[in-house]
Amino acid sequence: MAMAQQTVNTAIDSLTAALKSNIIPNQEYFLQGSILDSSVEVLLHRLRGLCDNVDTNLETFHDHEMCFSIRGPNNTQPLQLRVRRSLDHNGMPMQLRYIGQPEIGDKSRPTVLRNSIDIGTSNTVVEFLTELGCRKDFEYSAKGYMFRKGRMKITVFKVFKIDETRKMMSSGGFDALSPLTHSYLVELSVLAPSGQDAIADDMRCFAEQLRPLVQLEKIDYKRLVHGP
Amino acid sequence: MQREEKQQDAVLEAVISRVNDLKTSIGAMIFKVENEYETLNWPNFLDNFALISGQLTSLTKILSNEKAPALRNFTVLPLMLKPDLDENLARVTEGRLTTFSHDIVPDYLRTKPEPDAELKMMQLEHKANCVTYETAQKQVAAMNKVVGHVWDLVNKAREEWESEAGSRSGAAQTFSLTDTPLLVAAISMGKGLKHTVAPGAMMGGPPPGPQRGPGALGPPQGPPGGIPGQMGPMGKAPSAIKTNIKAAGQMHPYR
Repeated sequence: MAMAQQTVNTAIDSLTAALKSNIIPNQEYFLQGSILDSSVEVLLHRLRGLCDNVDTNLETFHDHEMCFSIRGPNNTQPLQLRVRRSLDHNGMPMQLRYIGQPEIGDKSRPTVLRNSIDIGTSNTVVEFLTELGCRKDFEYSAKGYMFRKGRMKITVFKVFKIDETRKMMSSGGFDALSPLTHSYLVELSVLAPSGQDAIADDMRCFAEQLRPLVQLEKIDYKRLVHGP
Repeated sequence: MQREEKQQDAVLEAVISRVNDLKTSIGAMIFKVENEYETLNWPNFLDNFALISGQLTSLTKILSNEKAPALRNFTVLPLMLKPDLDENLARVTEGRLTTFSHDIVPDYLRTKPEPDAELKMMQLEHKANCVTYETAQKQVAAMNKVVGHVWDLVNKAREEWESEAGSRSGAAQTFSLTDTPLLVAAISMGKGLKHTVAPGAMMGGPPPGPQRGPGALGPPQGPPGGIPGQMGPMGKAPSAIKTNIKAAGQMHPYR
């Protein structure tokens, strides 16, 4: 008891202790794919059959995500922070999230891996970030469905552009959303403490079950940056 | 004579070892079913089955080998029966059989079916013999017809199933290979979403958009500055234009 008081007495200490004992889920294993609007019903049907939350109704979400960035002192790569808020549940806490560079790894690794830290915040987080010197890079709204299978999270959602011209209106532009593509983005992800690579194999198995409907893959982000 | 005996010994040994293998795998399977029924999955179970079936096949092969003596020509003769415990027997049979008594021996050394079963067999054989050749032929033909019909049905179902599976994977494309990277690039680095850039450029601030250093410097900044004036009337068009410009800017690293 006395020892516990000695070692864990401030928030920072307990955080470091948690980090050391590797209990913080700060790694995100994920796979991505997409499905055409015309086939999304089939996918939803299959997911309802495969996933845990079958007995409840289809779980939907509609979020607004803003990506902020801030440059380091010597013009290094900008640090990106994302703020997400729910549009269909007003008054819920906002989410602030840091995502690191995705690591593709070699062929033996079944999923992409990236650092991910998120925290719930109050709705003044945008002002706070702006005061810090962050600048809004881009924003979008995501609307779709959410499934769970054990520790895995599966989201099927459409990405919408936010209409700048209507932004000043009372609805904030969210009533006239224009979809980016004719497809839904499908993401399969697990948040876990580092080193739990076994879950990645489970994810690969799950992804196999969605073929050939959706091809969940490791997307090479480096190629996206330089690509057309 | 001696050679035959040696052969017989060798075959018996092989048979015994195969039977022991079989016994262990059956034992393992029973253990699995009894103790791991919660975690046991179907493919695993089938693997076990396949193992056992393979062992049975190899056992049959040994028995039907030309060199193997016909075991049914040998007689096992019980020399002494006693109702007392026989430790030796218990050890040899791993505790399954403790006495070699009058109750047990007829069952264990049985070479003929049970009397009931034998009677039934006799009746059936008698019945079969009574049938005339022609009726037998007729019945065989009818049986063949039924079996052939079922065979056709199964084949047809399989063909349908396979063609359906084939056409499904071939015809209907359920996802677009180009949309995935597009969407991922959009949510990860705002590709195609950055129309918020324009007001920033208008205010004369540093270009907020560029993501990864070099490619974004220089030329691309010009056009965005020009566009904002038209922003209002043109509606969504500027975003498309800008994406193009960006793409051009990102060509730079390749030079």
